[in-house]
Amino acid sequence: MTVEGVSHLLKNANENGECVLVAGGNTLRGMGRPPLRVDVTLSTLGLNAIVEDAPADLTIAVQAGLTLRTLAHTLAPHKTHVPFDAPRAADATVGGTLAAGWLGPRRHLYGRPRDFVIGSVAVLADGTIARAGGMVVKNVSGYDMSRLYVGSFGTLAVLVQVNLKTAAAPPMQRVFSMRLPEGTRERALSVLSNLNVTPAAAFWIDGFRGTIDGDEGQEGRMIVLLEGTAHTIERLTREVRSALGRAGVPETRIVDAGARESFERVLDAYVACVGERSITYRIPAFPDEALACARDLTALATRFELRHDALVDAMNGDVIFRVNDLDAMALGAKIEMFDDALHDQQPNAIVIAGNHSHRPLLAVWGAQPDAIEQMRALKSRFDPKNTLNPGRFVAGI
Amino acid sequence: MLLSRLVEALGADAVKSQPEDLSVYSFDAYTEGSLPAAVVLPSSTAEVSAAVKIAREFGEPIVPRGAGTGLCGGASPMRGGVVVAFTRMNRIVELDLAHRRARVQPGVINADLSAHVAGDRLFYAPDPSSQKISTIGGNVATNAGGPHCLSYGTTMNHVLGLEIVDDRGEVFTTDVDRAGYDITAAMVGSEGTLGIVTSAWVRLMRMPESVRVWLATFGDVESASSAVSAIIAAGIVPTALEMMDAVATSAVERAFRAGYPTDAGAVLLIEHAGLEDDMNAYESAISAIARDHGASSWRAARSQAERDLLWAGRKGAAGAMGRLAPNYYLQDVCVRRSTLPKALHAVSDIARTYDLTVANVFHAGDGNLHPMLCYDRRDARQVQAVIESGNEILKAAIALGGTVSGEHGIGFEKREAMREVYSTADLATMARVREVFDPKNMLNPEKIFPAGAQCAEVRAPGNVA
Repeated sequence: MTVEGVSHLLKNANENGECVLVAGGNTLRGMGRPPLRVDVTLSTLGLNAIVEDAPADLTIAVQAGLTLRTLAHTLAPHKTHVPFDAPRAADATVGGTLAAGWLGPRRHLYGRPRDFVIGSVAVLADGTIARAGGMVVKNVSGYDMSRLYVGSFGTLAVLVQVNLKTAAAPPMQRVFSMRLPEGTRERALSVLSNLNVTPAAAFWIDGFRGTIDGDEGQEGRMIVLLEGTAHTIERLTREVRSALGRAGVPETRIVDAGARESFERVLDAYVACVGERSITYRIPAFPDEALACARDLTALATRFELRHDALVDAMNGDVIFRVNDLDAMALGAKIEMFDDALHDQQPNAIVIAGNHSHRPLLAVWGAQPDAIEQMRALKSRFDPKNTLNPGRFVAGI
Repeated sequence: MLLSRLVEALGADAVKSQPEDLSVYSFDAYTEGSLPAAVVLPSSTAEVSAAVKIAREFGEPIVPRGAGTGLCGGASPMRGGVVVAFTRMNRIVELDLAHRRARVQPGVINADLSAHVAGDRLFYAPDPSSQKISTIGGNVATNAGGPHCLSYGTTMNHVLGLEIVDDRGEVFTTDVDRAGYDITAAMVGSEGTLGIVTSAWVRLMRMPESVRVWLATFGDVESASSAVSAIIAAGIVPTALEMMDAVATSAVERAFRAGYPTDAGAVLLIEHAGLEDDMNAYESAISAIARDHGASSWRAARSQAERDLLWAGRKGAAGAMGRLAPNYYLQDVCVRRSTLPKALHAVSDIARTYDLTVANVFHAGDGNLHPMLCYDRRDARQVQAVIESGNEILKAAIALGGTVSGEHGIGFEKREAMREVYSTADLATMARVREVFDPKNMLNPEKIFPAGAQCAEVRAPGNVA
């Protein structure tokens, strides 16, 4: 597969009124609706070249189908990284992660994935190959088209290449894991998010046993990721320990070797499904409101007699909430009412995982955005024949 | 008729139409545009919306304007129309300290926001050198940068959501945290051609625990720029990494006595913010690279006052150019960081060819060059030389894989140069966005997109980078 090949394929499909499903590593397939129609599937996996590795510039240009794992391996010898923090890095592609607008837990420290994008090559529905940005780290030459494609779910154009800014990788990582005894949950989270030194990530977890490391205490468990130089880690370790001690958390387990893997298991949990019988939501909240949000959702799931797992990203405030039942049918009997009730509480909750293709009533994108009219107009100007991923995105776009 | 309708909607006090008023608003820090038909000074989103509706009815384009510090004609009316100046919309509407964000009107002055939250140990990170006068609305329009963007990112990274008045006068909002197309990202840096920002949610950052500032001196610009490339290549990204050449430091010292050595060929101003624990290791690593690349001296600013003075000198550098020549032309290009030595070399060759004095003061860590060409606008030969060498610098940057604007924007000045960077298909793709948001081409027309013949006017001094 080449960029010209993608252009040719899209041009033909567009002229023939065919619909194209754009797919990367399929790791975020549970986001958004299934396309209304699929005549052609365009997999970007063959577009996996490293177009230009420029370590001296702290930049790299890669094709969209490159996996996050391969990107990380390519950058490792330069001691740099691009912290996208998407689940299933071995399968997830750079293009797919960006197209899905993925937001990971270290963004409070390093920035959003879109902020690493300095240029792109995209193919429009009519086959137009359009470049934007370049390989420089600061660029105000016209509209930032690359960032517009990020999070657009392949409904405006197909990203075939992205140019990325890289950052120095932290020399060391350390994971703290701890069970939370009764009465410590709120304080533990609050002290962590108010430290002078910032952990790279901090999670409160209830459930996800077997997926995420650690054992539950009476009030769940926590995993904290520290990153930086040996000095920083030492300082963070001291401060995190003493803060948690003040919060009444007596014991912590430290993992140095395997810290990255432990963190990746947390990321994988974001989209881990319980067979065909689970749905996972992401709810945006402020860090100081996230725990209460998770508690309310737990009460709601209990009311619906749904099993549930919860994960709170204490640094950014994201709540990941997974509900499941004994089997797909049992889930199906309740999920639509649960979805309604959940959105009454949290209108901006979106679905990020689960097999829901046959459940059109789920509000997988949450409440309609204010600028929906502008979004529809963009779609019809970029893809007037609705060739690309039709119906996959917000409000049926 | 247009005037009476505007007066009716906004009040006589908010509509300017005297020739002397119109002439003041006919240009920004770049050059003179055309006289607008009217200037309005709205106090609210509703008034902006009313003004847009009336202008539209009369077929007059709308030109939004912050402080008018833009260097590329972004706020100059090129086809007359109604200038919407945000002078009166300068309130911090909402301060959400718990979540470290603020909602501001577009006329809030950049530095005022940081000053306002300093007591809470917070700050607004984008810091263009014009920050004492430029507005957040204008910063959003140009995706403004500044020295500290090296580590904190440009304005784009700090805008969380916008309220926008569209080309029909209707209001909509955007939010980077909501599902849907990232219209915030399309708006930031669009120079007022896609909508008029009437309010912005911006991110505030915690002040770092520790800040260090160091000065390294070099015999020449080439060795200083090699040091910069080597620092970046080592994976070290300080909070700011600025360079000044001898011409610039001597002007700065004459104007500010900021403490820069005047006997060095080039100076690097390096700042790093973070944890105290890491600072010594950081200093050792950077100073070792600087020495390897021929640094003749290395010193640390010892106090906050000393740091502030060095920064005041750096940020006032463009203003200090008046000490060297009656006029200067400030170019803004960005190149790959590994090509800095070549780019600087090219700039100096170009200046020599055209017999112009060039001063370099720039964001070296980003590869963002700001050569300032000194001249006397009364001398037609020099004016021509400046225009031609400005274009040569653009070409040199493009040849090195760079771009024609790092942070000042395209505006009117550089719109023809867009053809040098982008293909027709690339530009047509961008134009699709324009067609969606401004199908009648009424929002800040004649900007960004190339059209007609190039017109490279040259500016007067006193402008700020």
